[in-house]
Amino acid sequence: MNPLDYVVLLATLLGIAIYGIWRTRGRRDLKTYLKGDGNTKWIVIGLSVMATQASAITFLSLPGQGYKSGDEGGLSFVQNYFGAPFALIIIAAVFLPIYRRLNVYTAYEFLGRRFDSKTRLLGAALFLIQRGLGAGITIYAPAIVLSTVMGWRLDITIIFSGLIVIVYTVAGGSEAVNVTQKYQLAVIFAGMIAAFVVLVERLPTGLTLTDALTLAGGFKKLNGVDFSLSIHRRYTFWSGLLGGMFLALSYFGTDQSQVQRYISGASLRECRMGLMFNAICKIPMQFFILLLGVMIFVFYLFQQPPIYFNRAALEHAGNLQGIESNFAKAHAEEKQQLLAWLIAKRAGDQNAETAARTAALAAQQQTDAIRAKAEAAIVGKSRTTTNEADYVFITFILDYLPHGIIGLLVAAFFAAAMSSKAAELNALGSTTTVDFYRHVIAPAATDAHYVTASRGFTILWGLAAIGFALCANLAENLIQAVNILGSVFYGVVLGLFLVAFFLRRIGGTAVFWAALAAQLLVFVLYFSLNISYLWYNFIGPAACILFSVAIQTAIGPTARRDEGESQI
Amino acid sequence: MMPTPDQTDATESETTGLPGLRTWRNVYLLVVAVFVVWVAFLVALERIFS
Repeated sequence: MNPLDYVVLLATLLGIAIYGIWRTRGRRDLKTYLKGDGNTKWIVIGLSVMATQASAITFLSLPGQGYKSGDEGGLSFVQNYFGAPFALIIIAAVFLPIYRRLNVYTAYEFLGRRFDSKTRLLGAALFLIQRGLGAGITIYAPAIVLSTVMGWRLDITIIFSGLIVIVYTVAGGSEAVNVTQKYQLAVIFAGMIAAFVVLVERLPTGLTLTDALTLAGGFKKLNGVDFSLSIHRRYTFWSGLLGGMFLALSYFGTDQSQVQRYISGASLRECRMGLMFNAICKIPMQFFILLLGVMIFVFYLFQQPPIYFNRAALEHAGNLQGIESNFAKAHAEEKQQLLAWLIAKRAGDQNAETAARTAALAAQQQTDAIRAKAEAAIVGKSRTTTNEADYVFITFILDYLPHGIIGLLVAAFFAAAMSSKAAELNALGSTTTVDFYRHVIAPAATDAHYVTASRGFTILWGLAAIGFALCANLAENLIQAVNILGSVFYGVVLGLFLVAFFLRRIGGTAVFWAALAAQLLVFVLYFSLNISYLWYNFIGPAACILFSVAIQTAIGPTARRDEGESQI
Repeated sequence: MMPTPDQTDATESETTGLPGLRTWRNVYLLVVAVFVVWVAFLVALERIFS
């Protein structure tokens, strides 16, 4: 990065943060601080929901996922989002009207109205444990990649991005998160579109977009839908539709970092429109980011890529000259066959086209095999906690994009990290204040007191997240560990809400003990079975629902709560 | 300090304010239709360029 890139980076990040503070200065009452001014339009809600979900690692690693070979590479990952539109419809039709009618600050407040205080505290506690521990990773994951590639100090990167977020989130609350996310998302889209345009421009002369797609298709990169029923395949239409719907339902419907974004709308219509905006745009957005990775793959067919994209790890691995030399030869052979294929295609020579294409595919398998050999050597010698795919896009940016655009792209990654982080901190501060501090410790204080408390809790969570991120490099496989933690807790929280919304005869005592039993079952299964942690997103809610019905049947009908129940 | 139910939402929940999509049911059907179109597009993309 040169001085121009640093100017673009700092001006973008600080400009948005300062604007957020200025726009929301003087917010003193609790409702405005936690839910905004009540005039939020659907487009702001829609962009805010989108920005909260799309973290920096989405934009850093998703193009790498598109670049990757095999069944899990190319466009296949887009299937993960197939359940999202259906989950968002359920939330808009069922969850949202109830949240709005009860005028709640947090999703867990609804559990208190529907069931009782202990169930509310259980839901809030499960959220705080899971999101609180996961908060550090939102800063750490992009920081480790960017600091490795840029040569920046990891601790300074974490502290810099973490403190900016704390300042404007604490100062302006939920509204500051909304207004800054709008501009952060604009920076992200501007950066991604600029990268795509430059990438297409830099494809070899004469290679049209249709040619590029034909090449990508020939290498099985356009595998966006797989109707296979095999449970061994990670991304299929069915796993995306069913598993993705459960995941999206728990994330968008019960995670306060999302709920806080869409309950703040000017009306139910604005909130629903914001969710439907995401239901329509989610798949195209992920498709576009993956397609960017596919185009990077095509670009690197004609331009020799590094044998391993994480160059810091490559340097630690020592002398791989023999492997690199074989790789260069195999890549040159592949390029020659691809050029022959293009010439034959333009000449309309079907036989030559087929022969060149077959030879190019064989050469690609050869380069993949050499890269796998190099990866085995590198991973064995270096201690890396990140996936190589995370480095594909940033390496392309630094090697091939012009200065200024590099600064914009790096700003986009930071903006994505900050927008997710701000929403998380805002939700953690709100839940701690509303569900614990106001509900248990100080129920009769003034709004100004609660706003001060919420600011204090937000600072504490922010500092905890920075501290966690600073210590994170002590742990191996950290990202996976946090994902496992999320899956272990998410399912039971979703179970609580599904019982609340759909099983009206179940009372608070039954669901509370059912949730504890379900959580215990998930822990036991986790430590005794060797299955993918994603299954716990199904097991948790299923166990919670079944246990609730069983316990309610055993203890007999419960008198309906007079407060809250009638309003639901 | 307990929040009060928001009475204004009850009357507006049926209207979308969108031309041609007057009920939320129609909006949800549109979302499902867009999803189907995207799946068809992805299938076609793979078949055309394979």
